[in-house]
Amino acid sequence: MNKKAKKIILLSISMLFAGCVATQSPKPTPTTPPKTNGVPIRMTDYGYPPQNYKTTIKNYFANKIRRPEMASFVFSKPHRAYKRDGLAYGGNIVWKGWLVDVSIATQSRSGRLQTPKPYMVLFRGSTIVEDILGRHHQLITRVGD
Amino acid sequence: MANFNTHFVVAAGASAILSGTMLSMEVIEPNQAVMAFAIGTFGGLMPDIDSDNSKAISVGFTVISLLITILLVFVKSSTYSLIEMLIMGGVVFSVIRFGFIEIFRKISKHRGMFHSIPVALIWGVGTTILVHIFFGLNELISWVYGFMMSFGYIVHLILDEIYSVDLGNRRMKKSAGTALKFFKLKSSTDKIQNLLIYLTLIALFMIAPDTSLIREALLSQEAWINFKDILLPYDGRWFFH
Repeated sequence: MNKKAKKIILLSISMLFAGCVATQSPKPTPTTPPKTNGVPIRMTDYGYPPQNYKTTIKNYFANKIRRPEMASFVFSKPHRAYKRDGLAYGGNIVWKGWLVDVSIATQSRSGRLQTPKPYMVLFRGSTIVEDILGRHHQLITRVGD
Repeated sequence: MANFNTHFVVAAGASAILSGTMLSMEVIEPNQAVMAFAIGTFGGLMPDIDSDNSKAISVGFTVISLLITILLVFVKSSTYSLIEMLIMGGVVFSVIRFGFIEIFRKISKHRGMFHSIPVALIWGVGTTILVHIFFGLNELISWVYGFMMSFGYIVHLILDEIYSVDLGNRRMKKSAGTALKFFKLKSSTDKIQNLLIYLTLIALFMIAPDTSLIREALLSQEAWINFKDILLPYDGRWFFH
C-alpha cells in the first residue's frame, strides 16, 4: 500500500472516531422555580401564610386564657415550620404550616400585670391547629425562608 | 425507717399541697395538677425500689413495666394487629416486671445510691425528657412533671432521715445520714457508681428541654410575688369573694 493510500485510510479512521466523540450537550438553561404569590413552589407544602392572623389569635385565646379582656399581645411575623409527633406516637411529621410567635401579658387575679408568656401558634392556612407554650420545642423545626 | 404506708401518705400529702399551689399560681391547669400529684406520689415511693422485699419494688416495677408496655403499644398501634400488640405487650411486661426485677434485686443494695440527691435529680430530669420528647408536652409542663418526681423522691429521703432520729432514747440510729446524701465513697465500687451517676445526670441535663419557663414560673421574683398573692385573700375578704 502506498503512502498516499495509508494517509487516506488513517484520516478517514480518525474522522470516523472523531464522529463518535460525544459532543457537549447544550447547557441547560437555569430554571428558577415558578413563584406563587412570592412563595417558591417547593415551599407550597406549607400553604399560604395565614391571613388576619392577629385577629384570629386574639379570638382563639379569648377562650383559653384567664382575664382575656385585659391581655396584651405582641406578634411575630408568620414563619414556616413543621412538627413531629412525640416518639411515643411514631415521631412522624404531623403538621406543616405557618407558626406565629405570640407574647401574651395578662393580669394576675389581684390585678397585677404579669410577665408576658410566650406561645407558638400553629396555623394550617388561616386556621389555628394548636398552640404550644414556650419559644421552642424539640419536636418543632422552623424552616428558613 | 418509715414504712410503705407512711411514705405513701406523706408523699401524697406533700404532692397535693405543691400541685395545688402551682394550680393556684396559674402555672398549671386542673388536669395537669392531677397528673403532677400522681407523679409526685409515685416519686415518693421510688427510692425504696432498691429494697428487695418492699412493696415499693413491686409497685415501682409494675408501674414502670406498664408505662413501657403502653409506650410500645402506642408506637406500634398503627402497624401491629391487636393480637400482635397483645403478645408483644405481654412479653415486654413480663420480661420487665418479672425478669428485670430479679436482675435489679441482685445489683442494687438498699440505702445505696438509690437513696441520694443525684439519683432523685436523675429521675426528675429523666421524667422531663420522657414526657417532652415521647409525649410532646411543652417545656413548662415537662419540667413541672420532672420537678414533681424529684420532689416526691426527696420527700421520701427527708422522711427516712427524720425516722433515723430516735426521739425516745435521744440518739441517732445507725441509718442516719444514709438517705439524704450526695455521694458515697466507701469502696472503689462506690466511687465508680458515683462517677456513673453524675455523668448520667450531666448527660441528661444536656439533652433536657430549656428551663427558662419553669424558672420564671417557680423561681423568679415574680413567682414569689404570685405566691404571696395567693397565700391570703387578695381583697381581704375570707371565703366571700
